[in-house]
Amino acid sequence: MMRRMKSSLLTLRIKRFHKEKIPQEWMETFQVGTRKGMNLLEALLRIQDEQDGTLSFRYSCRGAVCGSCAMKVNGELVLACRTHIEDLLEKSTLIEPLPYFPVIRDLIVDMSTFFNHYRKIEPTLHGQPISPQTEYKMNEDERKEIDPYIQCILCGICFGSCPAFEKDPQFIGPAMLAKAYRFLADPRDRRDEEILKAVNNQQGVWGCKTVFNCVKVCPKEVPPTHAIVKMRGKLLRDKLASIISRLLSLSQPTD
Amino acid sequence: MDLLFHDILIIGGGLAGLRAAIEAKKAGRDVAILSKVHPLRSHSVAAQGGINAALGNAPAPVIDTWENHAFDTIKGSDYLADQDAVEVMCQEGIHRIIEMEHWGTLFSRTEEGKIAQRPFGGAGFPRACYAADRTGHNLLHALYEQVMGLQIPIYEEWYVLSLVIEDGRCVGVLALNFFQEETVPIYAKVLLLATGGYGRIYHRSTNAVINTGSGCFLAYQAGVPLEDMEFVQFHPTSLYGANILITEGARGEGGYLINAKGERFMERYAPHLMELGPRDIVARAIQTEINEGRGFEGEFVHLDLRHLGRAKIMDRLPGIRQIAMDFAGIDPILNPIPIQPAQHYSMGGIPTNRDGETPLPGLFAAGECACVSVHGANRLGGNSLLETVVFGARAGKKAAQKAEGGKSGTYHTLFQERLRAFKSELEKIFERKGKELAFQLRDEMKSLMTYQVGIFRKESDLWSAREKIKELKGRLLHVGVKQRGLAFNYEFIQFWELEGMLHLAEVIVEGALTRKESRGSHFRVDYPQRDDEHWLRHTLAFKTPEGVRLDYKEATITSYPPKERTY
Repeated sequence: MMRRMKSSLLTLRIKRFHKEKIPQEWMETFQVGTRKGMNLLEALLRIQDEQDGTLSFRYSCRGAVCGSCAMKVNGELVLACRTHIEDLLEKSTLIEPLPYFPVIRDLIVDMSTFFNHYRKIEPTLHGQPISPQTEYKMNEDERKEIDPYIQCILCGICFGSCPAFEKDPQFIGPAMLAKAYRFLADPRDRRDEEILKAVNNQQGVWGCKTVFNCVKVCPKEVPPTHAIVKMRGKLLRDKLASIISRLLSLSQPTD
Repeated sequence: MDLLFHDILIIGGGLAGLRAAIEAKKAGRDVAILSKVHPLRSHSVAAQGGINAALGNAPAPVIDTWENHAFDTIKGSDYLADQDAVEVMCQEGIHRIIEMEHWGTLFSRTEEGKIAQRPFGGAGFPRACYAADRTGHNLLHALYEQVMGLQIPIYEEWYVLSLVIEDGRCVGVLALNFFQEETVPIYAKVLLLATGGYGRIYHRSTNAVINTGSGCFLAYQAGVPLEDMEFVQFHPTSLYGANILITEGARGEGGYLINAKGERFMERYAPHLMELGPRDIVARAIQTEINEGRGFEGEFVHLDLRHLGRAKIMDRLPGIRQIAMDFAGIDPILNPIPIQPAQHYSMGGIPTNRDGETPLPGLFAAGECACVSVHGANRLGGNSLLETVVFGARAGKKAAQKAEGGKSGTYHTLFQERLRAFKSELEKIFERKGKELAFQLRDEMKSLMTYQVGIFRKESDLWSAREKIKELKGRLLHVGVKQRGLAFNYEFIQFWELEGMLHLAEVIVEGALTRKESRGSHFRVDYPQRDDEHWLRHTLAFKTPEGVRLDYKEATITSYPPKERTY
């Protein structure tokens, strides 16, 4: 039997959407020549240059740090710039916009709900009082507790993979709960109670189904579910502590 | 026609733009930010290794001072930096970094819990404050979080197509929401450009795809000169292939540069500082090794981190490990990283004073698109992030003063006129039936700049580059934009930006051709010496109908007279 050679032509089937067209949605196949080490974003840019200037998608850093080019590739949620074409040459590759978000055009989605949720958790450090002359002291262990959560690039991939939205579209979302924990864990922030109160509901930490999809898909290895579990634990411990103290106060003899 | 209005409009949502916006907002002005991408997608996010200030937190035999920092910066600049501006940056930088920490930047820490600092190129002290190797990401998110807290409005995914100038004053812009059809006039008492660099005119560049130098071109087109554009920084260590940045922090943590013969070759070029020489010297050293046949595959050398060990790499350099694995399939814990120099930064830009004011009233600039000049002929690593927050804040403050009171809107007719003129210009572009393709011209320009206007320059290459750019400018007139209308029109935007990029390329070539000396990043193999007598001065390039006109101005010397530069 002949060994099957990998083709050096990349075939992309792209889900298109142009609001003004009839029909608005269609599938289109492009073929693009490749070179060693090429990534999917470069291939898309080539198509935009050479074949179809109307193909729309976001891009910026091309180094997996800016979070612009999240999309669905053969059913998986990825950053296009971080996706090697070597892995896509066997057969045609299906490219779709990031799920959950409304499509604006082709692979560009409307992320305004995402950033509305982001603003809801008030993502601004509310610092403890300190002299303007000196930094807050923080030890490396405290920093390392926050560090995994601060890597979030707000690309939206976790929203596209999270089943909790099916039950409640108002669920605040994995990235935002990771962000909330980032501030909760930060010894410089004075808002512990407020943050916990804000996430202590079905739209917050209790809406998560703890299936760890977000942890698996995150291109920056942020673990939102871990943050959620930690915040649940803290809420339960606080609740338990308040029940115990109430029980203790009831058992005290009154005069 | 709806005329939008703001006291201050900031173009660009990277570190300089956001920092300026915060300052202006806190001074009570109506400020807005306009950016062609969501601010968190700005190229500032990609900065890795650190931000300099003489905090003196790292253990050292003597205490670091801002004066030491100023000296290192000036020597690093090959004495072309304006020393008064450098002094401001090094003094105020200390406060700006403490402030960034108070705003939530997650800096790495010393054992005493202070902001950690690492050695960086050309610096006498461990002075680069860092957040692992994701310093830009951490700073940008912290500033964006402040901007959210202050509820500063942002025009996201908008482009500026033209500045509106009236009676020698900048009064606003014609802008475009990329998702919509209409050109929108915006009046502003003060306009601040913070649009970053132009790296994408080079084939090999560490820059984001969006870095087209559009702000520099807007100013140049409006009659503002561009300063010192021939000084283009080539970063010594970009990942071979993708040219993604591999931070200087990798060498700051102790990484070695090794050629194909297994030599730590920096001992021949900077025997004292070795791998931590300034960027111009290390980039030339690497390129020399490659050119003289001691590179791998004739293309790259190795950055070897293996001796640092897994723990240190995971703790201090996790980001570049990820990049090396994602984009080269190499784990630096186990294998050396293949690296080559690539365009990285623009020392030149729109001339400003220490408060961000350009020669054109009403127009400010800050960050990489500006030239204060604190970097002179060569920027030290860790000083660009510092420049964004120091001069971003200063520009924001001054802009707020300038925008106080004043008249605010008898400009309706003016904008209507400009809009009409602009639309007829657009019509002409859309009517063109061209056979040339914009992306081909762009790729030709990029190759030309990397191979003829790169690390080593000579008269004959620069002459042919000059001719080629002229040719490309001519061919640009035969590019047809097939897609009509402005909404989602990538083809039009790329055409539009390409015109600006060709002009910037022309300015760089003219400056490089005329400057018959070698200083900092500008190295002429036919004039290998620095020539203070004739060339200790800044280049100013003006746009004229005949092409670039060059003029010069003195560099400001305060306490540090020029000396020979050895490391």
